[in-house]
Amino acid sequence: MRARPGFLLALPAWLWLVVFFVVPVLQVVWFSFGRKPGIFGTHDNSVLTLDRYAEALDPTFGTVFLNTLWIGVAGTALCALIGIPTAYWMAVKAKPQWRGLLIALVMIPYWTNFLVRTIGWQVVLAPEGWLSTALGALGILDGPLEVLNTRGAVLFGVVYNYLPLMILPAFVAFDRVDPTLREASRDLGAGRWRTLFRVTLPLAAPGLFAAVILVFIPLMGDYITPSVLGGAAGSMVAQLVAVQFQAGQNWALGSAIAVILILAIVATAALGYALFRLVALPFAAARRVKLGAP
Amino acid sequence: MQDTTSSGAPDRHGAVDLLGVSRRFGDTLAVDALELHVEPGEFLSLLGPSGCGKTTTLRLIAGFEQPDAGEVRISGRPVTGLPPYRRDVNTVFQAYALFPHLSVAENVAYGLQQKRVGRTEVRERVADALSMVQMREHADRKPTKLSGGQQQRVALARALVNRPSVLLLDEPLGALDRQLREEMQLELKLLQERLGTTFVFVTHDQGEALAMSDRVAVMRAGRIEQLDAPRAIYDAPASAYVAAFVGQQNFLDAHTAIRPEAIAIGADPMPGEKAAGTVLAIAHLGEVTQFLVGLADDRRLLVRRPSRDAPELGLGRAVHCAWDEADLLHFADGAGAAIPAPLLDTATAP
Ligand SMILES: Nc1ncnc2c1ncn2[C@@H]1O[C@H](COP(=O)(O)OP(=O)(O)O)[C@@H](O)[C@H]1O
Ligand SMILES: [Mg+2]
Repeated sequence: MRARPGFLLALPAWLWLVVFFVVPVLQVVWFSFGRKPGIFGTHDNSVLTLDRYAEALDPTFGTVFLNTLWIGVAGTALCALIGIPTAYWMAVKAKPQWRGLLIALVMIPYWTNFLVRTIGWQVVLAPEGWLSTALGALGILDGPLEVLNTRGAVLFGVVYNYLPLMILPAFVAFDRVDPTLREASRDLGAGRWRTLFRVTLPLAAPGLFAAVILVFIPLMGDYITPSVLGGAAGSMVAQLVAVQFQAGQNWALGSAIAVILILAIVATAALGYALFRLVALPFAAARRVKLGAP
Repeated sequence: MQDTTSSGAPDRHGAVDLLGVSRRFGDTLAVDALELHVEPGEFLSLLGPSGCGKTTTLRLIAGFEQPDAGEVRISGRPVTGLPPYRRDVNTVFQAYALFPHLSVAENVAYGLQQKRVGRTEVRERVADALSMVQMREHADRKPTKLSGGQQQRVALARALVNRPSVLLLDEPLGALDRQLREEMQLELKLLQERLGTTFVFVTHDQGEALAMSDRVAVMRAGRIEQLDAPRAIYDAPASAYVAAFVGQQNFLDAHTAIRPEAIAIGADPMPGEKAAGTVLAIAHLGEVTQFLVGLADDRRLLVRRPSRDAPELGLGRAVHCAWDEADLLHFADGAGAAIPAPLLDTATAP
């Protein structure tokens, strides 16, 4: 085999990945095949079994999984729908001298702690909160605001919390597309929209996919937002995992739920990507020009 | 777009007219009340130092910039206010601006696809355009896999395949090495003559402009200093600025100059002698040999002789120089003193 200095250089990175990612995940997977030994034990792997997976897929947990999937997909979609056009506007349309300010504005929510700003929304959205009072006073709302402790409140909360995570990488992706390529496109007869779909978006696509994944994964595993805003109706899988590990002291079941969550995230992301490719395929095929050998 | 006859000037197809066009960026007047009339089928160069407004002029014609004042006409029709995609011109960009996610053929097909040309015709025209620039066999490669010269050809094909009435080129050869650049100059010129397309060519290289163009517009601070055939620009520069920029000059005083090749040089005193000094440097440039002569009053004189009949002179040798009064160039603008004295700046190794 050839010498691979690149591999050696990457060794610290690999070690990091193994120690801090692969080992803990494997440990969770290992626990998920065990059981809770008794009242006081947390895990026992002396007998390997799939029973915890059967337990985890019980209908009571199933609704929480569906809830999580719904919030994860809808939340990511909303973040993309709001964040990608915003990032495009910031990188392409806005005057360059405004960029610093715009980026700062996007980041402002991040200057306060995730939990604190979510609790802030709990106060605002509460039936006795000022939003409710204001809407009531304006006659828009008859009776108190009933959004807190619903799936809708969680969706609102995650969009608010994860939007900057969509905007910033998408901004970088758009910013890296050479502006003269857009000029070349316009020079060759394409208007703004065609330039967007044939030049800017295809070239920014890898960065946009990264932004979507960067939002989708932590959003699916969010624990704080549903705990604060969701109540019973808007609970998510991460809460189940936490309950099993902490209150329940049942690491085996908690691990099984966590493994299913990870698989669900990977499967959904793969499905989303496949769907996107399927939709894009006919468009790409229509534009392909293959001349072959002369 | 619109049909040619509606303009009332079908004979102007391929013409470009800038009528008192200005473009300001903040405090910079990049283009200053510019008057320029490019004839149909002409190869016209915009020549001038960096920052004199060449690119901005080109962008005003292409539609990437809109004038603050004045009017732009293409083929006799006013296009002021029209976006680039509604103008019958195409641009070869300085850094080529090829789409990295598309193959060479798809790059060339891009403009035709925007015009909804049928698939078969697209393939034929793309193949023809690529053959024209000898890039047919690279059709299915990605532009990033090509050399600079090859990318340049693809950029040319991508613009010309649309059969624009005017082609705009912004220092298209600037990134190529010297030998390739000279080859491409010739190819471009031949191509332009064959197609009969109007070329507006931007360069800061005076040799390039003189070699290729039907006419050269020498620009200075957003205006045209002189617009003439290459020969006339060279032989009868309208100002000291043009004279200094086009070829090298020996400024005898602020208003008078003599070209290096108009000076005779020899070891012996000669009739009509105008100056004497010593040889400071010699550069053999192939067909010509250049001598830098230091005069008694510390001024320097650049002398260029055909190598075949250049005298054998060593460094430090006392020499005599002469020229014909008729070869002197006189300028009213007298910018001569501000222009750096010619040195052997092109003189490299023999
Ligand atoms: N988009 C712009 N914003 C601000 N100044 C510009 C812009 N484009 C050109 N300029 C200025 O206008 C002048 C002419 O520029 P340009 O047309 O690019 O010159 P050239 O192509 O001859 O080098 C320069 O002083 C340049 O700095
Ligand atoms: Mg320029």
